[in-house]
Amino acid sequence: MPLSKDELLKAYRMMKTIREFEERLHVEFATGEIPGFVHLYAGEEASATGFCMHLDDRDKIASNHRGHGHSIGKGCDVDAMMAEIYGRGNGLCGGKGGSMHIADLSKGMMGANGIVGGGSPLACGAALAAKQLGTGGVAISFFGDGASNQGTSMESLNLASVWNLPCIFVVENNGYAEATSSKYSVACDDAADRASAFNMPGVVVDGHDFFAVYEAAGEAVKRAREGKGPTLIECKLNRYYGHFEGDAQTYRGKDEVKNLRATIDCLDRFRAKVTSADLLSEAELDVIDGEVAALIDGSVEKAKAAPMPAPAELLTDVYISY
Amino acid sequence: MSLDDHAPSIGVLANPAAGRDIRRLVAQASVFPIAEKRNMITRLFSSLGMLGVGTVYMMSDGNGIADRIRHALETPPPSDQIWPKVVFLDMPIEDRAVDTLVAAEKMVAHGVGGIIVLGGDGTHRLVASRAGDVPITALSTGTNNVFPAMREASIAGLAAGLVATGQVPVGDCAVRNKVLRVDVNGVESDLALVDLCTSTELWIGSRALWRAEGLDQLFLSFAEADAIGLSSIGGLIRPVTRAAEGGLWLNLADPASAPIIVTAPLAPGLMIDIGVEAVQDLRPGEAISLRAERGVVALDGEREIEFSQTDKLAVRLEWDGPLTLDISKVMTYAAEHELLHRVNAN
Ligand SMILES: Cc1ncc(C[n+]2csc(CCOP(=O)(O)OP(=O)(O)O)c2C)c(N)n1
Ligand SMILES: [Mg+2]
Repeated sequence: MPLSKDELLKAYRMMKTIREFEERLHVEFATGEIPGFVHLYAGEEASATGFCMHLDDRDKIASNHRGHGHSIGKGCDVDAMMAEIYGRGNGLCGGKGGSMHIADLSKGMMGANGIVGGGSPLACGAALAAKQLGTGGVAISFFGDGASNQGTSMESLNLASVWNLPCIFVVENNGYAEATSSKYSVACDDAADRASAFNMPGVVVDGHDFFAVYEAAGEAVKRAREGKGPTLIECKLNRYYGHFEGDAQTYRGKDEVKNLRATIDCLDRFRAKVTSADLLSEAELDVIDGEVAALIDGSVEKAKAAPMPAPAELLTDVYISY
Repeated sequence: MSLDDHAPSIGVLANPAAGRDIRRLVAQASVFPIAEKRNMITRLFSSLGMLGVGTVYMMSDGNGIADRIRHALETPPPSDQIWPKVVFLDMPIEDRAVDTLVAAEKMVAHGVGGIIVLGGDGTHRLVASRAGDVPITALSTGTNNVFPAMREASIAGLAAGLVATGQVPVGDCAVRNKVLRVDVNGVESDLALVDLCTSTELWIGSRALWRAEGLDQLFLSFAEADAIGLSSIGGLIRPVTRAAEGGLWLNLADPASAPIIVTAPLAPGLMIDIGVEAVQDLRPGEAISLRAERGVVALDGEREIEFSQTDKLAVRLEWDGPLTLDISKVMTYAAEHELLHRVNAN
């Protein structure tokens, strides 16, 4: 099914919102006003968007430390996310989680995660619940090349296969885990190769091309919804910033990022394709650019103006007694 | 130990991407790990070294074949084998198809006596566009291919080595292949070795074509009845050999209304009903304009070119494709001329 005009606009808005959110955080973080660690997703937008475009309220996602893109894709409120990153009381998690623990269960976003490899077991749980309850929902775990080497990732692949879970494992291979190259640290040819060992399909897609991700994601989601089991998809992509904000990136080539931005940027490619196919006009996309810029400006302004959590809130939401 | 630098050289070009395209998800396509490509390449070295090939040029890649071969070269070859000197080409690595094009060009520039290709139809297509008259030894890595055959690498290495060292005349054992060339707005743009298919899908997306919907026109340089992939659509109606003068040209349609329906194996494990409106002979040199206003062109099964209303595309069958070695012919020639057997004088 070709994407309708509305869907194309939605996909562009999602990618652009993620990009603007991250570009702005890069600037704001340097002022020293943001507490904690921030890992930016800029450059990887086609992956979160290509998958999340197929999801609805039945579906759940588990994210990692680089989670802003996944959160926006799954529908988390941008103002509340920004407030959370600024540690404000009106943040999505009351200002106590920060960038690395953004979650909104009401949207099916089970959380960013400070534990590398921590997301996939959660996705298996959500997929098991969907299967037992017969909701038709699927669960997606987004994780990195580094996380793909973790025991928890392997265990989750195994469990999802054994239990035939509606679970999709998305390895976002951006070439590095912190400063370690995935070519060095991933023992198999592609992270997707691990799928065969767990008896599920493993596919590599160009993570800079929204349409490539969208198509593969659609097949994997369909397969999961039809009860045919899990899939592993590896998106080959790149991050535009350091591992975390403040990373000097001495391990990267001199013009590596500059070249990536100039040649394979997912937003530029999307724009070029849809305009040359006469599906959307430059003007329509420019309108979205303007709206997104205003949204992000507003979210930063509101976050800065919002109050910190009150001292009385120190222990709320932190421990739960079952 | 290595042979002297003036000994003949050969290029070995292996696709560094382990087959991991979407056909593993939408069909049951095979997986061919890089470790096995490495094993095949070392078997080539055994044959090439024995025949006196001095140098093997290989592509530098970022995906692991070059690394694994370097590793293999650190330990001495088995028993008393002599392997050729291996030179990794000095080239930028982009981890994309362009690497294969650059490597093939450089091999030709180094004057290799042949290029052994390990890959699928797509890799062979890329090498074919740059190989000129250097004979290609085509080795399939996977079951989803038509142009190259699945063969034992040691034998392919013997055949390529016998020709490169001049022991078997290339003229007797190499065949010229047909190609399908596509012109975009009057400019020659790309080629396919086996099949060129247009689809009304708009995007290159995940590359493979595996659905009946949207398939529009299919051009075939040859069509075998026992082939896998798009060419089987023609092959199951009117088979055409690689040697036949012309090719085939089919207009496809919705199976619900088409006069002919072919159940074609579009990918391993994937049999699909395809509607065929018309089958015509494709004569060499004749340019056929595409009927679709916009869509994509798939070359040897992979979507490669997106085109819109403003583009004019035409397809031609030409006889100026690559030279490929007929491995059986080379080996038969070797037997008849006593190249690999000798009478024991004792
Ligand atoms: C269990 C665990 N080990 C180590 C770390 C430290 N750490 C944080 S991010 C990271 C690298 C993760 O790399 P990858 O999974 O490729 O994700 P990317 O940052 O590239 O998106 C590491 C080692 C951690 N947070 N958790
Ligand atoms: Mg990484």
